[in-house]
Amino acid sequence: MSEIMTVVGERSVVKGSLQGDEDLTVFGRVEGGINLTKTLIIEPSGIVLADIEVRDAIVSGVVVGNIKASNSVQITEEGRVVGDISAPRFIIVDGASFKGNVDMGGFETSSGELPVAPPRPASRSVRPASVGARAAAQAARPAPAKPEPQRPEAARPAPAKAEPAKAEPARPEPARPELAKAPSGKGASAKPAPAKPAPAKPAPARPQAPARPGGSKAQTPSAREARQPPKPPKMPAGKRKVQRR
Amino acid sequence: MANTIIGSSIVIDGEILGEEDLTIQGTVKGKITLKENLYVENSGVVEANIETQTVTISGQVTGNIAASDKVEIKSDGRMVGDIKAPRILIADGAIFKGSVDMDI
Repeated sequence: MSEIMTVVGERSVVKGSLQGDEDLTVFGRVEGGINLTKTLIIEPSGIVLADIEVRDAIVSGVVVGNIKASNSVQITEEGRVVGDISAPRFIIVDGASFKGNVDMGGFETSSGELPVAPPRPASRSVRPASVGARAAAQAARPAPAKPEPQRPEAARPAPAKAEPAKAEPARPEPARPELAKAPSGKGASAKPAPAKPAPAKPAPARPQAPARPGGSKAQTPSAREARQPPKPPKMPAGKRKVQRR
Repeated sequence: MANTIIGSSIVIDGEILGEEDLTIQGTVKGKITLKENLYVENSGVVEANIETQTVTISGQVTGNIAASDKVEIKSDGRMVGDIKAPRILIADGAIFKGSVDMDI
């Protein structure tokens, strides 16, 4: 009783709307709606059939319904979610299952989200093998240094599709030696091929890209893109610069 | 951890069903059906019809109570509604308005 926390016990059912300004832990069942200004924790035994609006949600149980979080949604390895997610930060751990749409807000928000958003759908639906890669990407997210090279490609050329994003890192060095030279310009002066510079450097750091099964498949689009950029891509460079600073 | 606690800032509008103890520090409107004990704490506000085994009221309850065992209104409890239970305890200082049916 001393702890100020709301708990829905394992053998309890709440039907209707539930709102509050404190953490809520669900071991049992909630049907209807949940509206909190703090954290919702759904334990492995918990079942929530509700539209959820919270600051943070940590799902280890089952959720059927849409989740709108002002900060983060995390699905742990035991969690299962069917519904749409709207949150600036969305974390799916290896083993979790999820079906629905994800909206992480505008791509111009915080830098951390960008690298993560695009690869996820592809890796989940197409190749289980890359789950580890996904996790790695997530782990790397907080550190701004790593994701940075990834971001330009993922976000600009094809924000919705993950395939090109993955393949791109492999693209620069074999196809265009001149591009490899440009990199140090970092978009500040290197207008010839602004889209490439950044990636060229990190390329060696990510040898996994070529090794990946999808790499060869996606190479075609990337090669095509490699040809186009020289003149037009000035714009992306500008954007990228802004974002980075 | 098994039991259910509704914290003081929580408002539930609907129905709570359970087979375990329920402690209410917040607000519940609608209906409560339990097989165990219901505790309405000092800060708790319940506007609901209640069906449980026992009810202990230290807060405020508006609605009818049907308890299979016992209803207890503590000295700082306030209750408006009808009570149906084999055992009913009303402490000195408690406020109660309604009818009582002890199944005699």
